[in-house]
Amino acid sequence: MTKTAAIRNGVRLAPPPPELAREPWVANQRSAAWVADRGAALAEGRTPRWWWRAFVPSVLALLLLVTLLAYQVSTGVGVWGNNAPVMWGWDIVNFVWWIGLAHAGTLISAILLLLRQHWRAAVNRTAEAMTIFAVLCAAIYPALHVGRAWWDWWLLPVPNSTGLWPQFRSPLIWDFLALGTYFTVSLLFWYLGLVPDLAVMRDRARTRLRKLAYGWFALGWTGSNRQWRHYQKAYLLLAGLATPLVLSVHSIVSLDFAVTQLPGWHSTIFPPYFVAGAVFSGFGLVLALVIPLRRRCGLEDVITQRHLDAMCKVTLAAGGIVAYAYAVEFCAAWFGGNPDERAAWANRIAGPSAWAFRVMILCNVALPQLLWSRRMRRQPGVVLVVAVLINVGMWLERFVIIAGSLERDFLPANWGAFRPTWVDIGTFIGTFGLFFTCFLLFLRFLPMISITEVKYLTPPAAPAAGRPTFVEPKPTAPARPTGFGVLAEFATREDARRAARRVRAAGYRRWDVFTPHPLAGLDRAMGLKPSPIGWFAFGGGVIGFVTGVWLVWFTNAVDYPILVGGKPMFSPVVAIPPAFELTILFGAIGVVTGLLWRSRLPCLHHPLLHRRGFKPLTRDRLCLVIEAADPKFSETEVRQLLTSLGGRLIKSAGE
Amino acid sequence: MSDLFPLWTHRLPRQLLVGGLLLATSVTAGVWYYFTPKYTRAGYQPLQPVPFSHATHVGQLGMDCRYCHDGVERSAFANLPASATCMNCHNQVLKDDPRLAPVRDNVLTGRPLAWVRVHRLPDYVYFNHAVHARRGVSCDRCHGPIQNTDETAVAEPLSMSFCLDCHRNPAPNLRPAAEVFNVNWRPTSAAQQLADGQRFVREWDVKRLDNCAACHR
Repeated sequence: MTKTAAIRNGVRLAPPPPELAREPWVANQRSAAWVADRGAALAEGRTPRWWWRAFVPSVLALLLLVTLLAYQVSTGVGVWGNNAPVMWGWDIVNFVWWIGLAHAGTLISAILLLLRQHWRAAVNRTAEAMTIFAVLCAAIYPALHVGRAWWDWWLLPVPNSTGLWPQFRSPLIWDFLALGTYFTVSLLFWYLGLVPDLAVMRDRARTRLRKLAYGWFALGWTGSNRQWRHYQKAYLLLAGLATPLVLSVHSIVSLDFAVTQLPGWHSTIFPPYFVAGAVFSGFGLVLALVIPLRRRCGLEDVITQRHLDAMCKVTLAAGGIVAYAYAVEFCAAWFGGNPDERAAWANRIAGPSAWAFRVMILCNVALPQLLWSRRMRRQPGVVLVVAVLINVGMWLERFVIIAGSLERDFLPANWGAFRPTWVDIGTFIGTFGLFFTCFLLFLRFLPMISITEVKYLTPPAAPAAGRPTFVEPKPTAPARPTGFGVLAEFATREDARRAARRVRAAGYRRWDVFTPHPLAGLDRAMGLKPSPIGWFAFGGGVIGFVTGVWLVWFTNAVDYPILVGGKPMFSPVVAIPPAFELTILFGAIGVVTGLLWRSRLPCLHHPLLHRRGFKPLTRDRLCLVIEAADPKFSETEVRQLLTSLGGRLIKSAGE
Repeated sequence: MSDLFPLWTHRLPRQLLVGGLLLATSVTAGVWYYFTPKYTRAGYQPLQPVPFSHATHVGQLGMDCRYCHDGVERSAFANLPASATCMNCHNQVLKDDPRLAPVRDNVLTGRPLAWVRVHRLPDYVYFNHAVHARRGVSCDRCHGPIQNTDETAVAEPLSMSFCLDCHRNPAPNLRPAAEVFNVNWRPTSAAQQLADGQRFVREWDVKRLDNCAACHR
């Protein structure tokens, strides 16, 4: 997963000269154990007061949301401020806003993983959680916007009593597929990242309930290298699948607008423009959440100034693209010579919603320029204010695009304006309630930083440097039937790798190395072949692609051909978005299925998990186990071998 | 840990998988059967103020549909008869029958006779009886064997796919114009029906009306 250049392949490079030295990603020489303690602190310790102070209003807002949803469904969406001509109001504004916020999560987890940006490890868990909850908030709006929410399931291509299929030539149905895929893949990605951390939580848990809950969801993860091998491949593949997915989601959302012929919407720049805006606002939200969190939870050494600095740079870059897109839109309207386009822009700049446009320019274009200054980037207070205002600006951007374009129809007689009703406002507040309720529960019960990944960024000498927790066996242990096998602990990563090479050379078959995080070079030392998970991803992807194309062709060209706007009944171009989304979805499901199958998970009852001595292992230990089931196994020989390799023997495991 | 997750938990994944598949199958099958108009709408038979029997009037006496529903060939709505129509016969037949009291009451005082509506299409569907009746779609195609039912019931699901089955492929469902109101008519053979149906489609210019605006206007 994360490989530090300094020790790649066991070769320690010379340290850079001091003027080139960078701040480490984990400050103050914090050890792996410290990371585990601090990362799990909020999930394990007493509930802090600030948590309650945030949670109570969130739950109240959530109750407001539930009440208003019941009211809207039972009364109808006429309670919204939507009207003619502004038939898309706050519902779509808020939908696009929330789904835009959801973009930072998978961007951080996937794209930054592929780009080997190590700083993602400290914030990816929070960002992914944020993504999932933001998608939930976003999904509320289109589900209600259709008017009869109980028919929402008609969006799924299932046979029903209308005899109809979804109309795959509409971007709205692509939107549904993109959103569903994005939610599912983000959830899988989040959960996959959580599994080793849940194992850490399981082994730290003190109450029976916690042991049961974390143990159940950790699936019996032991951190053996034979698991890590598949896990790393699966995680990388999911990142590879999620990367184009992130770019596709907001592209498709933008097509909801761009394929219409409304001035202000009908524009080819929309997909990249929307994606940049989504990344912009998403990073804004991550910053706005992480800055108070690192302080409240004492995570300044893990989410360092340098992390904030890096995120600010991404924000600045995304903001630059957004500003550029504004300029291009304006120039296209100006030089395009289309009077309707020009009128739409004149309306934006000087029309009744011009206030929103001006505040938007201030928040999205002017204010982020502060981040050019390194001094500003290093002041969490300033960054926090900028981040919050960016999201105000991005909300206004969607308002300007949607209401600002609709309020001036082609016919002046149809001109109108949008006024939100109390239901609009209450629902928007309520979605914050949903978001923060989920987010706070996440903080309270799950490790908020990726303990496993941050551990790997800790200084390499740290593991096993501490107190001896394992009981040394007496040298003259009587020969008795052995349980699971012989377990030895190694002090450093290099020792573990060397031991693995020697144990392999000695011809043992049933043995494994247990590490709290994936260890570079261990696969080669153990002589493991590359993980076959890629084939699962490939198989899933092919199935998904074929299913997607077949679905579009069968439903829209064979079973119920409807002529829409003179378009062909089947065109590969139209099949691309649904087929793409299904490729990613099935590919991701294939990856997870392959991972579970190949690494034999879930395996809740594992001999090693019984041992009290095993518990610190997921925390910061490096262990090697030779199983008693090995054909060459002989207790005395194994003990001799492991001791000679520098291992500290631990009692035969699992009797 | 050992007491938390005993050995049998190893069988859990497979059990959950099989159980989940079984559950999903039964839920799908249940929804498929119980949540569609074939179950929810067909068979609806409300109690009427007057227990009018189509079996008696059509099946036994052989009355024509149009004697009572006289607008069916000319209007979108196949009207219910005025009480005066009933009284054409019932001033002689069963003239003091208590079951007919509401009809007599209506004729004498003008107080409405509150029939309970049986077939109710959604308000966003436009349906025209005349168009169907004049192009060879018989009454019993949608109303079932009405000559055998006592109190009127919904015979067919009348779901969108029910309409579409015929709209997509009208030929097997059209009959000679003279036989539309003959609810006992049967085609001599399937081949004959298909040949005739295709001829009617051609001659009467019956279109494959499956665009949205055909019904949702």
